[in-house]
Amino acid sequence: MIGHIEIDRYHALRSPLHNWDSRAKLVSILTLIFSIVLVYDLRMAVMGLLAAIVILLLSRIPVRFVLTHIKWVFLFVSPFLFILPLEITDGRIGIDPYGLWYGSLITLKALSAVILIFPMVGTARFDVTLKALIDLKVPNKLVQMLVFTFRYIFVFFEEFQRIVRSIESRCFELKTRIYTIKTLGKAIGMLFVKSYERAERVYNAMISRGYDGVLRGGGEFKMQRIDWVKSLLIIVLAVGLHIPWLWVR
Amino acid sequence: MVHISDGVLQPQVWISGFIITGLIIVWTLTKMRVEDVPKLSVVTAAVFVASLIHFPVGPTSVHLVLNGFAGVMLGIFAYPAIFIALILQAVLFQHGGITTIGINAINMGVPALLAAGIFRYGMKFDLKNKETIFGAIAGGIGVAGAVLLLSIELLSLGEAFETVTVFVAVAHIPVIVIEAVFTGALAGFLAKVKPEILEGIR
Repeated sequence: MIGHIEIDRYHALRSPLHNWDSRAKLVSILTLIFSIVLVYDLRMAVMGLLAAIVILLLSRIPVRFVLTHIKWVFLFVSPFLFILPLEITDGRIGIDPYGLWYGSLITLKALSAVILIFPMVGTARFDVTLKALIDLKVPNKLVQMLVFTFRYIFVFFEEFQRIVRSIESRCFELKTRIYTIKTLGKAIGMLFVKSYERAERVYNAMISRGYDGVLRGGGEFKMQRIDWVKSLLIIVLAVGLHIPWLWVR
Repeated sequence: MVHISDGVLQPQVWISGFIITGLIIVWTLTKMRVEDVPKLSVVTAAVFVASLIHFPVGPTSVHLVLNGFAGVMLGIFAYPAIFIALILQAVLFQHGGITTIGINAINMGVPALLAAGIFRYGMKFDLKNKETIFGAIAGGIGVAGAVLLLSIELLSLGEAFETVTVFVAVAHIPVIVIEAVFTGALAGFLAKVKPEILEGIR
């Protein structure tokens, strides 16, 4: 699972998305995601998906990398695509056109949104993206929680793997039984004890290095004209998805 | 699973999700002391990692939600913790969605607040193994509440969603049981090994 925390693996590539100001990139692509999700016209949803794919290709993030990540999304939307259209009347299974329409709409939107996450946060180092949040005036405590949590996830995952290895070396097996659940509960309890103690040590270390509760940083981004142009293009696209008469006639 | 992905819900539902979550976050942030932030993040990360564990249930497996346990550990700060975890989950794992972060935070955060209240109430009793018992109740209520809220939202979409809703709700019954046992064992363990954790961060 932890292999999946590598969203910014391709941050060092060069593309129009990589050299885009992180703040503008976040705001513009988020706007586009929200805009696509607000679309209720199947043709426009297809346009949205196409736009997402084009933006992804522009970012040069390998498509194979994206596909391995979004296979989970297929799993989540598959009940809507396959079960929703079914209509059971008098014991016979038929296809309900409304369900089919809504199911396809959900699938298209969910896929577009998830594809756009990659150009949005996969084209800069994750800590740079988080710094952009400070400049965007996101509450400091929230940004700090994001930064710290993000860092600790890796530490704890390794810690958890050590715990699992040690209980496995004592012949523990994952099986469908209460004993498994209880044992893992205690193992995770140990993870919490360790993490709590680590938190205290880290906090003391932070205090002694001058931490006063405020995360500083940011202020190093500068919007160039090209950044404004890119943002404008995306926003026009986002608004355009809601003006169907411009496209279809 | 309990995360709703993008595009499923009606806009009025997920937009209200953001508004309500925003209000609760603002409220908890004013309560949050600056020195709590690093510790809260540590617990958030631990909950995040723990929720990646998959339990075998017959041929398939389920993963934990641990929102009830977040309530036990963090009290009202379980809400911002869950909000942060959902953002990271959406961005790092593409689980859930972007536009549904608000509503998903309600689905998991409100039962977490309920679990927090129940656990704290339970600690007033003079019972043997009260941490295990009320931990189990909190853990069960966390998931059950999340599934209930999710089902209501899905049903609000109309008749066509009845089958899907039943499918989702039934799929979560084993999770409720597993989560109750798991959270009970976990809370009982912490009460024995490091009781100050259960009262420390809130």
